[in-house]
Amino acid sequence: MVKEIERAGIPVVHICTVTPISMTVGANRIVPAIAIPHPLGNPALDKDEEKELRRKIVEKALTALTTEVDGQTIFE
Amino acid sequence: MRLEMGHIYIKDIQFAAESKIEDGILYVSEEAVKAVALEDEKIKSVSFDIAKPGESVRITPVKDVIEPRVKVEGRGGIFPGVISKVDTVGEGKTYALKGMAVVTAGKIVGFQEGIIDMTGPGADYTPFSKTLNLVMVCEPIDGIKQHEYEKAVRFAGFRVATYIGELARELTPDETKVYETCTIKEGMEKYPDLPRVAYVQMLQSQGLLHDTYVYGVDAKKIVPTILSPTEIMDGAIVSGNCVSACDKNPTYVHLNNPVVHDLFEQHGKTLNFVCQIITNENVYLADKQRSSDWTAKLCKMLDLDGVIVSQEGFGNPDTDLIMNCKKIEAEGVKTVIITDEYAGRDGKSQSLADADQAADAVVTGGNANQVVILPKLDKVIGTLDYVTKIAGASEETLREDGSLEVELQVLTGATNETGFNKLSAR
Repeated sequence: MVKEIERAGIPVVHICTVTPISMTVGANRIVPAIAIPHPLGNPALDKDEEKELRRKIVEKALTALTTEVDGQTIFE
Repeated sequence: MRLEMGHIYIKDIQFAAESKIEDGILYVSEEAVKAVALEDEKIKSVSFDIAKPGESVRITPVKDVIEPRVKVEGRGGIFPGVISKVDTVGEGKTYALKGMAVVTAGKIVGFQEGIIDMTGPGADYTPFSKTLNLVMVCEPIDGIKQHEYEKAVRFAGFRVATYIGELARELTPDETKVYETCTIKEGMEKYPDLPRVAYVQMLQSQGLLHDTYVYGVDAKKIVPTILSPTEIMDGAIVSGNCVSACDKNPTYVHLNNPVVHDLFEQHGKTLNFVCQIITNENVYLADKQRSSDWTAKLCKMLDLDGVIVSQEGFGNPDTDLIMNCKKIEAEGVKTVIITDEYAGRDGKSQSLADADQAADAVVTGGNANQVVILPKLDKVIGTLDYVTKIAGASEETLREDGSLEVELQVLTGATNETGFNKLSAR
């Protein structure tokens, strides 16, 4: 899906836990997620901490989306 | 370590007033096994049934399959850290009841349990159509959480298998096999010209009821370590898995792991079987990196020439598999990986979620998406309530004539990734 949307000319950020798979399938902008069962959250945190964590991931993804990349890039 | 495995062949199972094994016939007191299962107050009720090869019987939803064993000499007992006290197993003498299994069933997660058909095309794909099965369907108390239900059924299965195994303690085995490994130095001196080979076993440890236990320790909490390959024969590794049935390793497969047994077959002849290395398949990337780093490090430290790596499950563990393969190869150790495929119903899709050029020697257990029609069978042990929801089924699964259109995924052990199945490819 990442590749097909990009083929249509729209840049994509792939937020995913297993970044090596994202590299294998050819995503250009990759943002690491937390864990496979809960990519965008962490049930071990309390609600406020978790909200902060989630916001950070989304903000990082938005930053990645507006960053020019030269080849596949993982935004650590 | 030296382990003598005594095989006692079971030719039939019958319910009787008293539990015993006589002339290869296992007599089971239903009352006694029920009492053993109900020792856990989380289990409300249990029903036992016997399913024999060739009978028109479908067992579902299947959780685990267990071979009864008893330790008659040497340290520890069967299922150390789980049923027996923690002690290092794998030496001495153990008896196994061959040709039979204890099968646990229950609607734990429902869609993540499996099917065993005792006849028809389904029976050709599941290895557990060939065993005489003592099936126990466990119902939990009301209001129980899934993970408590899973644990209760897991332990009930081990308790019943241990109870059955104990019946063989005083018997004389029909056949005895000896498995012996050397220490590192002994092996170097004894087999200086043979390649040093180990088995890297990846254990399902994704959590959320996708779990495996090593001496009672949750495998997601281990770092890669070394076992003497005989340890598994005493139940050092057990399944706690509710996950796609075709390629999870039931406890029966851990006890009888074909990679271990085949490597023993070649030990001292064509290779030196150095050890078994166990690692996990966790859901955090850092864990995947750490575990594959350590596995490769152990391979290097042991001066191995080659390893066989087996996977359990599919999807993100494909990455663990490829990371292991790449890193071990980078240490100059040759690898063969064993996996299975999710290549779509037509077999045309990419088989694994990850790939690398280092993975140039691959054994497949088959395509789990392959469609098979399972005819209606006369008797169901368990319930068909989940048969359209089980992984590998769909809303269209149940057909008008009562037959099931399903992917191989639903059949317990159909595409097993240790070779404990019938499928392969050239």
